[in-house]
Amino acid sequence: MSEFHDDYPQYELMAHHSEEEGKTGRRTLWNVFWIMLAITIFELIIGSMAPGHGWSGTLWIKVLFISLTVLKAAFIVLWFMHLKHETSFFKYVVLIPYIIFICYLIFISLNEGTYSGKIENRPNFDNLIIKQQEDLKAGHHGGAAHEKSAEAEAEHH
Amino acid sequence: MSHSVEIDSKEAWDGGQSPFRLSYGKIFMWFFLISDALTFGGLLCAYGFARHKADVIWPKAENVFTHFPFVHQHLPLAYVGLMTFILIMSSVTMVLAVEAGHRNYKRGVIIWMFWTIIGGLMFVGSQAWEWYHFIIGTSEGALRHIWHPELGKYVEETFYGANMTYNEYGVQQFANFFFFITGFHGTHVFSGVVINFVIFLNVLKGTYEKRGHYEMVEKVGLYWHFVDLVWVFVFTFFYLL
Repeated sequence: MSEFHDDYPQYELMAHHSEEEGKTGRRTLWNVFWIMLAITIFELIIGSMAPGHGWSGTLWIKVLFISLTVLKAAFIVLWFMHLKHETSFFKYVVLIPYIIFICYLIFISLNEGTYSGKIENRPNFDNLIIKQQEDLKAGHHGGAAHEKSAEAEAEHH
Repeated sequence: MSHSVEIDSKEAWDGGQSPFRLSYGKIFMWFFLISDALTFGGLLCAYGFARHKADVIWPKAENVFTHFPFVHQHLPLAYVGLMTFILIMSSVTMVLAVEAGHRNYKRGVIIWMFWTIIGGLMFVGSQAWEWYHFIIGTSEGALRHIWHPELGKYVEETFYGANMTYNEYGVQQFANFFFFITGFHGTHVFSGVVINFVIFLNVLKGTYEKRGHYEMVEKVGLYWHFVDLVWVFVFTFFYLL
C-alpha cells in the first residue's frame, strides 16, 4: 500500500440513498419550504401593516423580525445545505467562529454608532454643514451663510 | 443522507481519509461561503451603523418600494415578497436536484436544475425592475437646493428618483447602501445562475453519470442556498425593519 493511500470509501458514494429514503427526505424538504413560506407571509403582513401604527418601529417588532430571520436562516443552513447531516465537529467549525465574529461586529457597530451619532462627538466640519443647512431652511439663500461657513472652515484648518 | 460510516479509531489515525468525512471540494466550498458570509455580514453591519448613527428620519421601505407590475395601486412590499418567494422556491428546486443526484436519477436532476435556473433568472430580472423604479422615482419628486454660481445663491430644484449623489426618498446613504448591498447580492445571484447553467450542461452531457455521482450539483447547490440565505437577511434589514 502506498504511503498516500486513497482507498477509503468515497465520500460522494456515501451520500447515495435509496428510493425509500428519498421519499421521506423530499417530504421533509417540502415541509421546511411550507414553514419558511408561512414565516415570510407573516413577516410581510406585519411589515405592510406597520406604518401608521403605534407599534411600528418599536424594539419588540425589530426583535420579532430579526429572530424570525435567524430562524429562516437556520432552516436553510441545516436542511437545505445539509449541515444537519454533517459531523458535529464540522458544524462547530462552520458556525462558532462566524457567530462569535458577527456578534462582535454587531456590538461594535451599535456601540460606535451610538457614540458618533451624538452631535457633541462629531468633528467641527459636520457642525458647519448642519449650520449651513439650518440657514438654508431658515431662508437665507444668499451667499452670506456660504461665505461665512467657508471662512469658518478656513479658520478651522 | 447520513454520512456515518463506522471506522474504528485505530484506522482513523492511519490517515487516508478526509477530515470531517467530507470531500475536499465541499469543505472548501463551505470555507469560501463562510468568508463570503463575513463580507455580507460586514456590509449589513455597516448599514446598521449608518442607520443607528443617523439623526434624521431613515426612509421607510413601505413608502419607497410600492410598485407592482401591471398594477397602478400602491402595494407596499408585495413585489419584494414575490421576489423572496421566487428565490426560496428556486432554493427548494435546487435541493430537490441534489436529492435526485443522490439517487443517480439523471432526469430528475435535469428537471429540477432547469427550474432553479429559471427561478434565478426571474429573480435577477425582478431586481433589475426594482432598481429601474427606484432610479426613476415617483411622479412627485422632491426638492433640493443647489448652488447657482451665476446668480450667486442657492436655488430650489425638483428632482426625481435616486442615484449615488441624491435620493428623493430621504437620506442619501439609504440609496447608496441599497445600490451596493442589493447590487452585490444580485451579482452573486447572476454568477450563481451562470455556474448552475454550466453544471446543467454537464448533467445533460452525462459527465456526472459517467463519474458515478452528482457531487458537483451538491457543491453548486451549497452556493445557491447561500445566495438565498443572504437574501433572507437583506430582505429583513432593507425592507422590513
